Amino acid sequence: MKRLREFSYHEPESLEAAIGILAAGGDGARLLAGGTDLVVDMKTGRMRPSIVVNLKRIPGLSGIEAVEGGIRIGALTPVATLQASPLVGQMAAALADAAAVLATPPVRGLATIGGNIGRASPASDLGPPLIVHEAIATIEGPDGSREETVESLYVGPGATTLAVHDIITSIFVPTPAAGFGSAHLKIGARAGGTDIAMVGVSAGVTLGADGRIAAARIVLASVAPTPLRAIAAEQALAGREPSEEAVAAAAAAAAAACRPISDLRASASHRVALAGVLTARVLRSAIARAREASR
Amino acid sequence: MTTTVGRSVTRIDGRDKVTGAAVFGVDLAVAGMLHGAVVRSPHPHARIVSIDPAAAAAAPGVEVIVTGADFPYLFGSATRDQPFLAIDRVRYVGEPVVAIAARTEAEAQEAADLVVVEYEELPAVCDMRDALAEDAPLVHPDMHTYVKGAHVIVPHTNINTLWTFERGDVEAGFAGADLIVEDEFTAHALSHAALEPHVSIAAYDPVNRAYTLWLPTDRPFQVRGELTAALGIPSDKVRLIVTSVGGSFGGKNTLISEAISVALARFAGGRPVRVEFTRQEDLTATSTRVPAIMKLRTGVTRDGSITARSAEALWDSGAYTSNTVGVAIRGSSTIFGPYRTPHLSLVVRQVYTNRATTGSYRGYGTTQVTWACESQMDMIAAALGLDPLAFRLRNGYEEGDPYINEQIMHGVGLRESLERTAAEIGWGEVDRAPAPHLRRGKGIATMLKPTATPTSSNAVIKVEEDGRVTVLVAAPEIGAGQSTVLAQIAADAIGVPIEAVVVPGTDTAYTPYNGPVASSRTTFHVGNAIVMAGAEIREKILAAAADILDRDAGRLDLVDGRIVEDGVPIKPLSELFGGLAYGDGYSITAEARYSSKGSPLLKAAAPYEWMSSIFWMFATHAAEIEVDIETGAVRVVKVAAAGDVGRAINPMACEQQIEGGVVMGISNALFEEFKGSGGRIDNGSFADYKLAALPDIPEIVAIIVESQHAEAPFGAKGIGEPAAAATPPAIANALFDAVGIRILDLPITPEKVLRAIAEKASAEGAG
Amino acid sequence: MRLTATVNGRARTFEVEARSTLLEVIRESLLLTGAKEACGVGECGNCMVLLDGEPTPSCLVLAPDAEGREIVTVEGLAPEGALDEVQAAFLEAGAFQCGFCTPGMVITAGALLRDQPNAAAGEIKQALAGVLCRCGSYTKVMKAMEKLAGRGA
Ligand SMILES: Cc1cc2nc3c(=O)[nH]c(=O)nc-3n(C[C@H](O)[C@H](O)[C@H](O)COP(=O)(O)OP(=O)(O)OC[C@H]3O[C@@H](n4cnc5c(N)ncnc54)[C@H](O)[C@@H]3O)c2cc1C
Ligand code: FES
Ligand code: FES
Repeated sequence: MKRLREFSYHEPESLEAAIGILAAGGDGARLLAGGTDLVVDMKTGRMRPSIVVNLKRIPGLSGIEAVEGGIRIGALTPVATLQASPLVGQMAAALADAAAVLATPPVRGLATIGGNIGRASPASDLGPPLIVHEAIATIEGPDGSREETVESLYVGPGATTLAVHDIITSIFVPTPAAGFGSAHLKIGARAGGTDIAMVGVSAGVTLGADGRIAAARIVLASVAPTPLRAIAAEQALAGREPSEEAVAAAAAAAAAACRPISDLRASASHRVALAGVLTARVLRSAIARAREASR
Repeated sequence: MTTTVGRSVTRIDGRDKVTGAAVFGVDLAVAGMLHGAVVRSPHPHARIVSIDPAAAAAAPGVEVIVTGADFPYLFGSATRDQPFLAIDRVRYVGEPVVAIAARTEAEAQEAADLVVVEYEELPAVCDMRDALAEDAPLVHPDMHTYVKGAHVIVPHTNINTLWTFERGDVEAGFAGADLIVEDEFTAHALSHAALEPHVSIAAYDPVNRAYTLWLPTDRPFQVRGELTAALGIPSDKVRLIVTSVGGSFGGKNTLISEAISVALARFAGGRPVRVEFTRQEDLTATSTRVPAIMKLRTGVTRDGSITARSAEALWDSGAYTSNTVGVAIRGSSTIFGPYRTPHLSLVVRQVYTNRATTGSYRGYGTTQVTWACESQMDMIAAALGLDPLAFRLRNGYEEGDPYINEQIMHGVGLRESLERTAAEIGWGEVDRAPAPHLRRGKGIATMLKPTATPTSSNAVIKVEEDGRVTVLVAAPEIGAGQSTVLAQIAADAIGVPIEAVVVPGTDTAYTPYNGPVASSRTTFHVGNAIVMAGAEIREKILAAAADILDRDAGRLDLVDGRIVEDGVPIKPLSELFGGLAYGDGYSITAEARYSSKGSPLLKAAAPYEWMSSIFWMFATHAAEIEVDIETGAVRVVKVAAAGDVGRAINPMACEQQIEGGVVMGISNALFEEFKGSGGRIDNGSFADYKLAALPDIPEIVAIIVESQHAEAPFGAKGIGEPAAAATPPAIANALFDAVGIRILDLPITPEKVLRAIAEKASAEGAG
Repeated sequence: MRLTATVNGRARTFEVEARSTLLEVIRESLLLTGAKEACGVGECGNCMVLLDGEPTPSCLVLAPDAEGREIVTVEGLAPEGALDEVQAAFLEAGAFQCGFCTPGMVITAGALLRDQPNAAAGEIKQALAGVLCRCGSYTKVMKAMEKLAGRGA
């Protein structure tokens, strides 16, 4: 079997200690959360860290709680916990949908929300729903704590704005507006629906009191170097009746916005075709949920 | 008097499997063993300019470093063309160049990264069509100098196998046709992807100059033969001890990890060397199904009788021939399917390319040709406006029909397999799709498969003093339940309960010769040897009983482990020898050999008797699928799968094979594909080489057809191999039924489906 | 470094390297070879063990993460010589062929039935989706599971 290369291993028990190790370690240092990305990347040789800093002995980084104006999700919260959480189901349906299709159940038990953002995969299932829900990450660094939107963290495949010594400690998901509904869908290789996305789409729709779409957010996975906000598609919906025509227009706009590559999982042209279909499907679900919420 | 045959006896290896106690190749540790790692070629074709192992040699834990120059032998069952480690040149990406043994696997892997190899790249040929070109680079310029079998090669080309065959008058046959169709089909390379990766432990005893190998393999004697032939040593210098096999599917039957462990062991001063390939190595650099491009031309009358068929099949052996020659020839010979074809011709060519070596794969070439034949059968039926099932039944073989070499076929369960699967799937009934973007369709496909003929098997049976029966056969349990089925045959042949029968693992030092556990031949051939040896040992037991109990042997019988006199039990076999004086004992042995050679059943037109098969297997699969016309995704809803097994010794084991075959067929048809270019395989992980998982699995109804076979043990033929071949064309045919599109090249990906749907729509729009 | 964990009900302390995976430790230090590696990257589930009761692909877990936790491998499901309910049902239904994936299948199946004794077919398929079986024993696995979940013969 493939063996891991040697590294120096640390299990700090506080954020300060962790940040200290990271800051001293420089470029070769990596955080370890669930390890479902990092350990795999180390086996395939994609990453060869000289220092591994395990976050799991630091108290308080896991769990979901209702807070003023929304919910706060600890960075080490496993995806399985997101999937099972009634709070997440109520407040962020797209995130719950995504959690339920991220890998298979045993992997979900290890994989964390912070690690998903940290890995910054263009195919990430959690990035799109978090962006749809306007989630905000709390980040701890040598200069203290700061907040940034999850959307702003992504800069490219596998790359974030985070410095080596930055640690995401929690994610805040605001309570959605009245009349809001969201959903997430993806398509992978096999029927189980849990394979890495060839294309994934999250959408959130807010219905106004008049029944028209007041606002929409649409974010796609696996069609660009980062989770892709389909602004034109969002605009195509704003102010319109939630009709099939509106959905079709948004789907076309979303497909047009895609900048995919061809890789092992799908060709660029197939991704564009799927992006339109999935956007339409996910919008229908989001609209249905928004209608529920408006009742 | 049958007691276990025909019953779904619990598998005798089952307890060890469900408790995790079974010892597979990867589970074994031998005292003092070193661990190997391999430095592999990054180029499809290159000259090795130099190898500098100095840094690796100095790395911690490293004990042995071997290159092709140190162990310059060639192996190969058909053509001896393959080095243990590359000699002077590399011919595929991933070819082993340097082997390293260290105290730990981690140390070996780290040291492997330190070896510096300088290459001079050579022009490569990575596509089988390109390999045929006049000016194609030659993968083996010296092919004509290699030691090889009787097959025909074309020197100074890449063609390592050439075979033509003709019966009747093809041109006349085509002249008599109302419709002639010609199509080209492609069957892709596939990984065996046995979940147990390639692994072996080899030890070299410098005193006796002999090798011992512990390994999972389905062909112990053939692997031993390849090794002794390559090294020029007698058979007693190589001993193979076979572990539980974690899946083979035709993949664990030649020198793969063994080539490395043996080369390292030779220089390890007596220490055993363990070599386990990583999944990445296993997927990208071991063996795959032989990919094939098949041109098939068929003439039919308006009412649906086949008048003539001609085929051209091109096969890609990859860089070395391994066991592909038989695959290409035997496989191609069944491209006409189980149909009466009065006139036919066939041209088979196989080429070397600078790709990873290919080889036998569950079905031995029949999965490839079945894809072509059965897709085209439906295309013809559509062109003639005939029902695909009726078209098959009209042309299909019946009992006593002559095969293409004029062998008279017996035990032909084809019609029954077609009719029963069709009935099970609801042939002709239209199922409504549950949503507007979904379409449903049904398809059927069938096939025939010979077994390797002639081959032989031996059995030695011993009865111990406590009445336990040891059946010594070289038939490793590869998961298909052969040890249970053979124990059942032994139990009934002798007259003892199955609990009294032990089938020990294979050890070439003790177990007698057997042909490969392949070609679905085990139950029939080894079973026959056991039946013969069993009858003999039964007589010997009764003679001993008469002697010990002082009775008349003629009145004794052995029933369910009890000595019976005139129908009355008088002594359990387990106690028969117990009362003897210290130092006085019995160990009764019998041995028998079964060979299909010379069987009158094989008679055929000269010189084509070699194409005869001691038994023929038929399998039909009918599939119902659902297509998402917006995404191109294909979901299999149900498969009814019939296998003509002759007689089911153990119906549950037959069902396992049929169900497993369908699963593999679905996986092969819809998900599995190597990606990459220039001879490089980029998806060397199960993250990107996808195997079917539980949510992909439809309802599978296994149907056992029992056509009986006169020369078979209790009438039983075989089942394992044909089980996977018919599913892919059944899916393709169902896809045509659902949305009217035809995919000619495997796999059936959503992308191809979506494109074909769009093309059809635009063609219809234009027309 | 030293690792203390409960393995199949027994407290064990042993030396590990931080870079070892839990699977390597289980197979090579504890010599419990039921859990297998078939992919090393979380895709096949053949390496599944229970970590604090939850099915976990042990090929993705670094050994130090097992510190102080409870590990159950296939060897620990039933006393030597006996079978637990899931193993017995798998044996009877023939829910295995080569048996390589079977430890992972049995471990994962048992945890599902503990949490959802009457799991529906769809739930069973999702729960076991992470355990690959190349022999294609899935149909018989479902047969065994349906019975365990209180349905079918
Ligand atoms: C079999 C398999 C299937 C998968 N399928 C999917 C899928 O369908 N969809 C999907 O989206 N992903 C999938 N993944 C990827 C992976 O599981 C997820 O991305 C997961 O959320 C990563 O979390 P982790 O805790 O395991 O991260 P780790 O591997 O521990 O870390 C990943 C990266 O994030 C960094 N990091 C971790 N925590 C933090 C933090 N708190 N602050 C800053 N940086 C941090 C690490 O340094 C590392 O670079 C799959 C993985 C596997 C093995
Ligand atoms: S070996 Fe762990 S999931 Fe495959
Ligand atoms: S039984 Fe062989 S892999 Fe599952």
